[in-house]
Amino acid sequence: MKKLLTLALVLCMALTAVSGLAVELLSAGDTYPLNSDKTVTWYVQENMGPHEKFINWTESPFHTGLNKNLGVNVDWKFPTTGTTPAVFTNTLMADPDTLPNIMTGYFMDQANLLLEDEVIWDLTPYIQEYAPAYYAFLQTNPAYDKALKTDDGKYYAFGFFREDGGWNDTYLGPVVRKDWLDECGLAIPTTISEFENVIRVFNQKYGAKFSFAMSRFQYNGLAGAFGAYGTTNAGWSWFVKDGKVGLGQVQPEFRNYLSWLNMLWDEGLMDQDVITLDDTSIKGKIHNDQVGISVTSMGQMNNWNNERMAKGEEAVWVGIPYPKADDGSLSSVMGGFGIGSYTGVITKTADEETMKLCLQMLDYAYTQEGFLYFNYGTEGVSWTMGENGIPQFTELVTADTDTEPMRKYNAMTYGGTGIQATNLLYLKNAAPAIEANNTWFYNFEDEAQNLAVTGGWRWPVGVTFTVDEMDLINIYGGSIGTYVTESFQAFLTGTMDIDDDATWNKYLKDAETYNLSKILKIRQDCYDRYLAR
Amino acid sequence: MTVNPVKPTPVYKEEPFLKRLVLDFQKHKYKYLLILPIIIYLILFCYKPMYGLVIAFKNYRPTRGIWNSKWVGFMWFETFFNDPYFWRLLRNTFSISGLSILFGFPAPILLALLLNEVHNDKFKRTVQTITYMPYFISLVVTCSLLKIYTMENGLFPAIMEFFGGTRQNLLASPKYFYPIYILSDIWQGIGWNSIIYLAALSGIDQEQYEAAKIDGANRLQQVLHITLPGLMPTITILFILRMGNILNVGYEKILLLYNPSTYEVADVLSTYTYRTGLENQQYSLSTAVGLFNTMVNVCFLLITNYISKKTTESGLF
Repeated sequence: MKKLLTLALVLCMALTAVSGLAVELLSAGDTYPLNSDKTVTWYVQENMGPHEKFINWTESPFHTGLNKNLGVNVDWKFPTTGTTPAVFTNTLMADPDTLPNIMTGYFMDQANLLLEDEVIWDLTPYIQEYAPAYYAFLQTNPAYDKALKTDDGKYYAFGFFREDGGWNDTYLGPVVRKDWLDECGLAIPTTISEFENVIRVFNQKYGAKFSFAMSRFQYNGLAGAFGAYGTTNAGWSWFVKDGKVGLGQVQPEFRNYLSWLNMLWDEGLMDQDVITLDDTSIKGKIHNDQVGISVTSMGQMNNWNNERMAKGEEAVWVGIPYPKADDGSLSSVMGGFGIGSYTGVITKTADEETMKLCLQMLDYAYTQEGFLYFNYGTEGVSWTMGENGIPQFTELVTADTDTEPMRKYNAMTYGGTGIQATNLLYLKNAAPAIEANNTWFYNFEDEAQNLAVTGGWRWPVGVTFTVDEMDLINIYGGSIGTYVTESFQAFLTGTMDIDDDATWNKYLKDAETYNLSKILKIRQDCYDRYLAR
Repeated sequence: MTVNPVKPTPVYKEEPFLKRLVLDFQKHKYKYLLILPIIIYLILFCYKPMYGLVIAFKNYRPTRGIWNSKWVGFMWFETFFNDPYFWRLLRNTFSISGLSILFGFPAPILLALLLNEVHNDKFKRTVQTITYMPYFISLVVTCSLLKIYTMENGLFPAIMEFFGGTRQNLLASPKYFYPIYILSDIWQGIGWNSIIYLAALSGIDQEQYEAAKIDGANRLQQVLHITLPGLMPTITILFILRMGNILNVGYEKILLLYNPSTYEVADVLSTYTYRTGLENQQYSLSTAVGLFNTMVNVCFLLITNYISKKTTESGLF
């Protein structure tokens, strides 16, 4: 364990060294402010909106400040309060003539359709000239360039990147109450048997159960210890192994994983409420000593600890490694390569001149100056450069008791069109949360082996379906997600018997009525084209 | 409330329609002016959007517009009917709606009848206010409360354990979904929905009660022979209207309460439409489902109206 921690620390330091480089790689870009008298509408689906404390963006330092820095009159648009953001975007998309000029949302899947229908601009002829910093940034890493183009090499979007190259994509994993672990004289579990033992001991001694918010567990859960991929979320479970696309939930390894979960459920070791628990409702259990081991995000773990400290109790929650199989193997953990699927596009409601202006505006976040602004806000106001050359937030942020006060001044806390500084995550999260992220991310000493487990198994970000494929997916693919999610819970709760071969075979056979093979074929073609880019 | 349509004045009867309209217009100019905003509203918001229904027969792409999208005939209907979940959606929609009508429809009538028998005004008003209140609680709040009360260590499982049941998360189990859905619906709507019946009750001639009392009728007999028949036209009309909405199970409450463990009983047409149309942007498919939904509703409306007219001689048209 100690060895692992040292390793994590070393890698972490190496990472900061690398991240320093990344900023220097950024070019100066255009001269800002651009001093344009045009008004540009910019829609943001999520993450980059004004902090909850502000009534609208005119009160938000980040948005007003960005307008000033860009020298453009930006009219910001956000989903109406109370609507589901993705649904709000879809209602906007239904009327292409009135779209905002810039739209930030999830458009990668349908990029080809949007280009063919001329909803969005093909940026290829303009990007080098009008977004030089972004173009230069894409060229620094072939993986970036590959993800942000269509199969036939068209640029269409400004992406989200993590400076750490994927470290924070493993932002969730198993956590444990360290005080209980010590009281029981247990070591930090590293294998699935040890993990199960902790659940049992905690259950005997404290009456606690293994519990989690399904929204956190649904992605990859603990599937890796069984050689499986994905848990309940079908969108997350299209995996790639040796160049073959598969669906995690129909693999034999997945059956073993489910069988184990079902055993916990049957023996009363797993909390039955996991089916309806979310981040808010689980807190009641967390703070009433009903849970001692769980799976959650670094942000939530941070909250649990902070809320304990606010009550005068000790921070006891720590991240523990994703359990491996007893033979030390691990197939997958939640992860990625630091490229997000959240992108900004320029719509055809912008005429050619406005489109060029939009390019320059979006380019700002990828310049040295804009990178700092998007991550920390205005220098001298919300941050200053520390002695070590690393930005630090000023008291304006550190003394602010609102939740995530830096979001008043920056845009990269969760993601958007820009590059997220790793330092920002260090500043935002307490040390145990950072350590937890290290613990979850660094699973193997061998770098290549580690990357294969964190991001390598995943259906890559930036794959684009053709228009015909989109049509077919619309016709065939509507219900498979519901089917596997629903079956997962039926197997978990025992409504369907996971250990019965006939039931399992019927489940596999029924997957075909939901067009599994057809969808896999489409996805395989699509993936092959991506590889060939 | 009158049920039978007013007979047209015989004067115009032999004239052609247009002429009659002109005559009628001259006679009732201001009444026509009064109804004009409503007619405009109906045309703009109820009839004009119907044009959009053609996308159910097209492969609709927003950029091509409604007219220029490609015709695909009944392809989306076929896709929907061939969906493995089609029968389940239909069954669940009818079950939830049927149970709502069976238990939810008589509840406010019962409350109104009971309130009508209460003669202590203060008590009556208190009860009314208390029963109205839940109606004003946002659905999101109601459902969050329900989720907390039905958790393994929540209020309801605790009560069930006290009476010898086993303690479990009620929303995780398909068999409790309907009771939770229907009972909370009744709790939330009973007071509000009883208002219209209370209004109808106040219209019943008090002299009838006095006459019945003199004839020696007791309270129950008065209810059965005077109050209920007096309410009948209102009940009939509301019932026919309710039947015309048989497939309209509100998606909000289901979205807030269901989870993959209860899809089996809780997934209905409106949640399916929501998922396909708004989450997956399949406008044509969701329009086709919506159109199918409406057709079934219209059928039920017509059938109920027909039966009602045959048996009670009162109906909508």
